[in-house]
Amino acid sequence: MLTWLIWLIPLLPLVGFLLNVFFIRQERAAGLVASAMVVASFLVTLVATFILGALPEEERLIQSVAWDWITTGSLYVPFAIMLDPLTAVMTLLVTGVGALIHIYSIGYMHGDPRVVRYFAYLNLFVTMMLFLVMANNMLLLFLGWEGVGLCSFLLIGFWFERKVAAAAAVKAFVVNRIGDAAFILAMLAIFSNFGTLNFYDLEHQGQVVPGFLERIPEIAGLTFGPAWQPIAIATGISFLLLIGASGKSAQVPLFVWLPDAMAGPTPVSALIHAATMVTAGVYMMARTEPLFVASPTTQSWVVWIGALTAFIAGSAAIAQWDIKRVLAYSTVSQLGFMVAACGMGAYVAAIFHLLTHGVFKALLFLGSGSVIHGTHETQDMRKMGGLRTAMPTTFWTYVVGAAALAGVVPLAGFWSKDEILAHAVAYGYWPQLIILFLTSLLTAFYMGRQVALIFYGQQRDHHYHAHESSRVMTVPLVVLAVGAMLAGFLNLPTLFSGMPAAHLLTDWLHPVLHEEAGKFNLMVALLATAGAVGMGYLGWWAYTSNAAKIKVGGKDPAYHYTGDLWDGMEQAWYVDVLYNTVVIAPFRGLGNFLARVFDPQGIDGLVVGVGRLFGWIAGGLRQLQSGYVRTYALVFTMGAVLILGFMLIFAR
Amino acid sequence: MVPTAYYILLSAALFAIGVLGVLVRRNAMVVFMSVELMLNAANLALVTFARERLSVDGQVLVFFVITVAAAEVAVGLALLVAIFRTKRTADVDEVSTLRG
Repeated sequence: MLTWLIWLIPLLPLVGFLLNVFFIRQERAAGLVASAMVVASFLVTLVATFILGALPEEERLIQSVAWDWITTGSLYVPFAIMLDPLTAVMTLLVTGVGALIHIYSIGYMHGDPRVVRYFAYLNLFVTMMLFLVMANNMLLLFLGWEGVGLCSFLLIGFWFERKVAAAAAVKAFVVNRIGDAAFILAMLAIFSNFGTLNFYDLEHQGQVVPGFLERIPEIAGLTFGPAWQPIAIATGISFLLLIGASGKSAQVPLFVWLPDAMAGPTPVSALIHAATMVTAGVYMMARTEPLFVASPTTQSWVVWIGALTAFIAGSAAIAQWDIKRVLAYSTVSQLGFMVAACGMGAYVAAIFHLLTHGVFKALLFLGSGSVIHGTHETQDMRKMGGLRTAMPTTFWTYVVGAAALAGVVPLAGFWSKDEILAHAVAYGYWPQLIILFLTSLLTAFYMGRQVALIFYGQQRDHHYHAHESSRVMTVPLVVLAVGAMLAGFLNLPTLFSGMPAAHLLTDWLHPVLHEEAGKFNLMVALLATAGAVGMGYLGWWAYTSNAAKIKVGGKDPAYHYTGDLWDGMEQAWYVDVLYNTVVIAPFRGLGNFLARVFDPQGIDGLVVGVGRLFGWIAGGLRQLQSGYVRTYALVFTMGAVLILGFMLIFAR
Repeated sequence: MVPTAYYILLSAALFAIGVLGVLVRRNAMVVFMSVELMLNAANLALVTFARERLSVDGQVLVFFVITVAAAEVAVGLALLVAIFRTKRTADVDEVSTLRG
């Protein structure tokens, strides 16, 4: 039964997409159909997950082939999806949060002239994301990977009249290309080493199609590269995959597109650039976990990239004024946490954090969307202030989300982040632990700052009349807030002796990731909580007590103490500037040279020159054509005489 | 019997006169008549060789030539009349409108 049931999960949103593209012309119908399809998909996922849970643990891998997608030579790729515990949780997150965001969008996008197109894109995105997480081979995963990239591009540039949005869309696409190229190379390497792109062994029409994840030992000890510095095959493949993940999941050094991606509508930021698409890299790393585990070299890169990303983005988030940019950098930072967790081998913790982050970051983005909506498209936090009376529901849900992100007991973020930190302690990743711990302090600080700037003090700009959003927007906020409170209990550690084990997620994911539950570390938990509460309060206090110093268009009060450091944080440590000077400026220069010098003088010179040459030759030749019949007759006669003479004299 | 060479010489002389006429005369009518002269020179040569070789092929060919020449005359005179109507002249140098 599951073999056909799971096809409904991605196909329902696809139907919604097709309906919205071809038939629906009214805003109301578009929103309803799109939301209904995703909700239905969520319900199907729930049912499928329960059926999956009823199976014995070793049988929890359902694969279903629709048709043979590519069969050429030794390459066989079925168009097949699968459902296993890891896919199930990802699918639940995508459809669950996706459904809430669809419903929210009905309110947020109300009155937009292209709203039907918006919902079509959103449905297409959900379809592609589901193919991504449900694919049973690398190629189908890549199809979803590119599909979500396309939807991301379309939705970032949804308001393409705004130059910023169009540029941001292109930037996201181009930066992602770098990662995608590495991903393709990784796929080629996997095929050439294993001869298959399937993840797991698949029985199809009486034959077993091998899966590469179960064949990792075959490449143990194989190397490539120069003799003086051999590189393990596993390292090569996993490193390419890491680059792919860095593009999609916005890791150093490819994270620059994500903050700019905030030019899209806010629900899009919540769905694509916080909860689902950007976690695809983490999902992919968890899926190909055996490859990564086979290469300690890559793993150390992974953990460092994750930790550095977390810190760089966390520090950048502090210095932003745009409400969404704070959250964007925060997302990058939290993704860094997940990647670092993957690098430390704590894949369950990474997926756990992915889930909880998906919930509370979606909540925060939707909350910020509610604020933007209620303040008539204001995004600069310097123009806000004192909004908690005007929009109480948004305020309370936002505080819950912020506390969950900061890691306050017992909200979702605390449990997942604590698991990552505890794992770092247990396996002795001390330098990374320090970085991650500092980052979690920064996290609490910037969330405290943001809550204070938006909701406390006095309203600093009176060009708008703040109002609470409609029910269709606040209800998803409340649902997500409840989720942000409860999601942490998915994977509760044993807090005290005698407490029954509650590692629901670890046990659930055991068939895929084969991980045992980590130990609860009271010291880390206490420090992290104290830090979170303390720094969160500090952030809140600093910006409420200095509220009078914050002026529209002015500097941050902390600028006085940090000076240039603040500028660096505001620019995310000049990574963008670096790209501009190192990559973009030379490329522009080359383009200008080609356009201004090479094309007009080189290419055009050649073409025009050839044209002139023939014109000149023709100018000479046309003199021969006098139009006098008698001249032609003379030439004709002379020719005849010449030929006849020749024949007479020579050709006897 | 008249020697064959006489006929051939006459034929060559007629042909040369025809060529000269085509080359030097400007009146289209005269050019036309010169062309006919060349055709008939060729006919004479054909008939001569046919008699010389006691074969009928050349004489048959002459009939074809006469037929084609008659058709040519019909077309050519029609063209001449048409040109004269539009150009009011029969001078071939005056109708050099295809000059490059």
